[in-house]
Amino acid sequence: MTAQAPQAAQAGPVAQPRKRLMKHPRSRFAGIIPAVLLAVGMLLICEVLVRAFALPEFVMPAPSAVFEVLFTQQAQLFAATLVTAEEVAYGFFMSAIVGALVALVIARFDRFGQALYPLVVLFQTVPKIALAPLFILWFGYDLAPKVTLIVVMAFFPVALNMLVGLQSVDPNLVALLRSVGASRTEILRRVQIPHSLPYLMAGLKVAVTLGVIGAIVGEFAGASAGLGYMIQFASTQMQTSLVFAALIQVSVLGLIFYYLVELAERHYIDWIPRPNA
Amino acid sequence: MLLSTILTPAMTGVQSPARVASVAASPAVPLASPDAPHIWARGVSMDFHVAGRTHRVLHNVDLQVPKGGFVSLLGPSGCGKSTLLKLLAGLLAPAEGEVSVGGLTPMEAVRQRRIGIIFQEATLLPWKTALQNVEMLMEVTDKRRPRAEIRDRAREMLRLVGLEQAEDKRPSQLSGGMRQRVSIARALALDPEVLMMDEPFGALDAITREEMCDFLLEIWQRTGKTIVFVTHTIDEAVFLSRNVVVMGTNPARVIENMPITLDYPRNEDTYAIPAFGQTTAHLRRILKEGHRQGHSNGRSA
Repeated sequence: MTAQAPQAAQAGPVAQPRKRLMKHPRSRFAGIIPAVLLAVGMLLICEVLVRAFALPEFVMPAPSAVFEVLFTQQAQLFAATLVTAEEVAYGFFMSAIVGALVALVIARFDRFGQALYPLVVLFQTVPKIALAPLFILWFGYDLAPKVTLIVVMAFFPVALNMLVGLQSVDPNLVALLRSVGASRTEILRRVQIPHSLPYLMAGLKVAVTLGVIGAIVGEFAGASAGLGYMIQFASTQMQTSLVFAALIQVSVLGLIFYYLVELAERHYIDWIPRPNA
Repeated sequence: MLLSTILTPAMTGVQSPARVASVAASPAVPLASPDAPHIWARGVSMDFHVAGRTHRVLHNVDLQVPKGGFVSLLGPSGCGKSTLLKLLAGLLAPAEGEVSVGGLTPMEAVRQRRIGIIFQEATLLPWKTALQNVEMLMEVTDKRRPRAEIRDRAREMLRLVGLEQAEDKRPSQLSGGMRQRVSIARALALDPEVLMMDEPFGALDAITREEMCDFLLEIWQRTGKTIVFVTHTIDEAVFLSRNVVVMGTNPARVIENMPITLDYPRNEDTYAIPAFGQTTAHLRRILKEGHRQGHSNGRSA
């Protein structure tokens, strides 16, 4: 290997793959440029239309007004964001744990799994948003009802994806391991769980966006702080610019959580070749 | 034959270790003698139940593999050759008949690590390196063995299959042929007496496949393992084996057990020997006939 390295640096054709790797970050930014241009263009059109029709700010604020609020009231917005972020973080964490446990139990214990799985699916058909007032009634106005709502909303994609991962291992490999005396738990630990991690990550990405929705809905149902609370409060006060500003803040929060999950995925699951990575 | 007719009434049920033991104890088959087959199957039948219907995938198959032999099971898709291999390897239990590997039931033999199994896909763990993949089965079977010893053994096996340079590579960084070598190293690490290979080179390109055939013969010569090799490639079967067992469909059965008299070591020149061409031509003919016959049987049934 060491003898080959300098050779590779000299030889043109061999060095080419490295060049292409170097290009990656640049091409990634290049890929964003059209989207940014489009977004800016749409905002400009919006701005022009609002001004041209002289729409009142409480109906449709101009983008410039929204951005102004976004900066002038950032302290207030940021405090609300922290509250919501905490709910999402706890809720997401709990969803991941509950979802993974449900998947593991179903995969490991056949009988119990057969009993549990239909119930989990049945539960999934319940409109979870409708449970929000109930959780407020049970757990009060603080963190607990929001976390509960998020878990109830977000554990299912985690469980389902991980279960698919656990059950999609190569049956020949499982047969091989069983034949040499590996126990169910050992096969689960050595093969099925690592194999399921990319699937789990796909589930977590869905869960994290559901987590943000869950937090906002939870705050709509009853809260004294947070971005959802702020959106509701501001809209009753006709502070439509603030509503939009909070909306932007929520979206950015969701984006950050999503990329944190993706970052974790890239870090922990490095054995899967990714296109466009 | 005589023995099997005597034993037939006793062989209707599922096999048990006790029954195999009684065979071993009978004077007619002195298992200790070098002539006794290392692996044998007698009157083996197998049914699969799919959607309430029963499909006979193997019908009354007899097979003998001598110790240190190289036997190929050759036949078209659906002739039950893979099923037969799974029966020999203890991954399935026969509906009728008996199977023995070194005087044990296959399941016993696998548990005692006397059988190494290699599938068409290398079935490696993608998150582990080549070395870790070779270690994996040893870790499962030998919980008390020191880590360093397992590592040394795995390194030795990678050297044996010519992959000592690639021990830190992940399966995705290896070629198909290299992956299959890792899989073979993983099986050999447990030092089995028998290698059961289910179309191991079926997913490889023709050039790599011939390379792997050379490689497998070398491993066989060096380790003296008994090898049972499932394939649907006639040239591959003839090039590798001491015996080719030809199987046909409808019903899935053994058509012919053909000894291959070509001398070892075999290499590129082997393909040019007239006897090689004659043998493959003969096999092509009986495979075609078996296939045609099977089809007409299927129609009349």
